[in-house]
Amino acid sequence: MKAPLIRLVNVSKVYGLGENQVQALQNVSLEIQPGEYCAIMGASGSGKSTAMNIIGCLDRPTTGDYYLQGENVARCSSAQLAHIRNQQIGFVFQQFHLLPQLTALENVMLPLVYAGVPPRERQQRARLALEQVGLGHRLHNKPNQLSGGQQQRVAIARAMVNQPALLLADEPTGALDSRTSQEVMDLFAELHQQGVTIVMVTHEADIARRAERIIWFRDGQVLHDHLRPDDVYQAIRAM
Amino acid sequence: MDIRESLSMALRTLAAHRLRSFLTVLGIVIGNAAVIAMVGVGQAAQRYTAEQLASLGTNVLFVVPGREDARRRGIEPPATLTWEDAQAIAAQVPTVRWVAAQINESALASYGNRTTPTAVTGTVPDFFRVQSFDLQQGRFFHELDVQRQGRVVVLGSDLAAKLFGDRSPIGERIRLRNLSFEVIGVLAPKGAFLGTNRDDAAYIPLTTMAYQLTGRRSPYGLTVAFISVSARDEASVSAAQFQITNLLRRRHKIVDEDDFYIRTQKEAVAIAGNITGVLTILLAATAGISLLVGGIGIMNIMLVSVTERTQEIGLRKAVGATEGDILQQFLLEAIVLAVAGGILGTAVGTLGLIGIGWVTPLQAQVSWEAVILAVGVSGTIGLVFGVAPAQRAAQLDPIVALRST
Ligand SMILES: Nc1ncnc2c1ncn2[C@@H]1O[C@H](COP(=O)(O)OP(=O)(O)OP(=O)(O)O)[C@@H](O)[C@H]1O
Ligand SMILES: [Mg+2]
Repeated sequence: MKAPLIRLVNVSKVYGLGENQVQALQNVSLEIQPGEYCAIMGASGSGKSTAMNIIGCLDRPTTGDYYLQGENVARCSSAQLAHIRNQQIGFVFQQFHLLPQLTALENVMLPLVYAGVPPRERQQRARLALEQVGLGHRLHNKPNQLSGGQQQRVAIARAMVNQPALLLADEPTGALDSRTSQEVMDLFAELHQQGVTIVMVTHEADIARRAERIIWFRDGQVLHDHLRPDDVYQAIRAM
Repeated sequence: MDIRESLSMALRTLAAHRLRSFLTVLGIVIGNAAVIAMVGVGQAAQRYTAEQLASLGTNVLFVVPGREDARRRGIEPPATLTWEDAQAIAAQVPTVRWVAAQINESALASYGNRTTPTAVTGTVPDFFRVQSFDLQQGRFFHELDVQRQGRVVVLGSDLAAKLFGDRSPIGERIRLRNLSFEVIGVLAPKGAFLGTNRDDAAYIPLTTMAYQLTGRRSPYGLTVAFISVSARDEASVSAAQFQITNLLRRRHKIVDEDDFYIRTQKEAVAIAGNITGVLTILLAATAGISLLVGGIGIMNIMLVSVTERTQEIGLRKAVGATEGDILQQFLLEAIVLAVAGGILGTAVGTLGLIGIGWVTPLQAQVSWEAVILAVGVSGTIGLVFGVAPAQRAAQLDPIVALRST
């Protein structure tokens, strides 16, 4: 068996102090193999985003260990974490989070700037990434000149421009209508074909259905960690 | 990250918020403009007084009654310096060329129904040589006028114009304190000297002044306000100073402290320079404070900007920016703002100086030291006041930053 890309061991996350303490995650253990396509589901407040933030090295567990490609992330400095986020992880957010003053091309170039890629190569790679998401004709538009679906595709190009092994998406279709949502999912499927490991959070059954595996959270714990998407889809349709 | 990357990023952000950037640096602009203008004015004043004193000639000495420090303490100078002293200097000091004792008063001058207050100087013919006056019309008064206490007057050009308009005053009679004087000459315009207008003045014989106009005498004889002396040449100034000191000590039978002192041209320039130098420092300090206030303005707006750009910071961190990258970016924004403000302020200050040059005799120049200092100080202020906002930005938790919508 291959070594897991992601391995969470008894991870807990506590927010706040004293009276206001919230146990966002409680002893979560989880493994995701390279090349898998997982969807995380669960009720609001069940800890999905918290888990994603830890997997994405934006946050650290309160207790427990997180191994990314075998390396214990808890031991990394904040500069090392920044490097990991830059090189190994791509993020896609519900709110796109494009910088409004930059063009599509410049937004996509941003991770390459922090990677220290020289300007010419940066341009070429960003252009290529935008062409791959079908926006080769929109390089110099600002985000407010693009539709929601186009903005999310720019964000996907930005996430993938450094060719990371792992794509993390927290409700990537949450702000999109169902047709553009499916277009974004087509892109994800393509990336999955190319071997990218994808973990995405979603509330929608027909989005989750496109994944290979569903992890179900409840109250900060993993309730099921290997549901089959079609079963989940049928169950939710039946309700 | 490469500093050029951060710089171009900072420039883009500032350009994207042009109005805000401009308003942010307004304080720095005003501060710098003030520094440039104030230092320029101060230095111009310094140069102006030096030029004025130098226009007297470099070999002039002033003999002044009283102890050297008395004037500064506001003590009325004693009436110890006399016309006889001046005559003795002229007769006995070989390194001296011209000696001019003088008494200064103010009086009402009138001609026909025109009356105007003016400065009256009682003096001797050498005065015109020491001060290098030129004539427009008529003549200076002679030794004979002084001996005879002649009622003759030489007018400054402004006073002549006030009393006579375009007409020639030569041979006319004017009244000074109700005494009638014959106008024998009009001086060529000489300009102001340290703020007093030497063209709005009347010059009469010393004796006439002492015995008829003021009636002021002392047990020592005819006392004078001061004596200006012209040494033979620049090289003999110190010799003249030494010889005059000895002569006056003998004449005044001084055993311990002198009751007079002698200023050379050089010392007078130095003193005037000191006074205007202090003025310059005061002006610069005031301007410096406004620069400081400008810096606080930058900090203020930068802090607001960090709060506003929380999401941007979170996103940059998510795609790989380190705390150092963010720190550098925000610090550079503050420095770029401050330096731009410095340059803009220098331009405004320079325009201000040109304006001042039009309305006053101060021909101010922009000094390079002031420009470099102002821009350098601005940059430093940007750095110092940029640190707090930049640190706040760098330390933002990316999750909190990304969650805020
Ligand atoms: N920074 C924080 N400070 C305090 N509590 C927090 C913080 N972040 C999350 N929580 C709490 O942790 C719990 C899990 O939050 P999380 O955002 O992971 O839920 P979620 O599953 O993503 O929900 P949703 O589907 O609504 O996005 C919630 O109770 C939330 O209120
Ligand atoms: Mg969430």
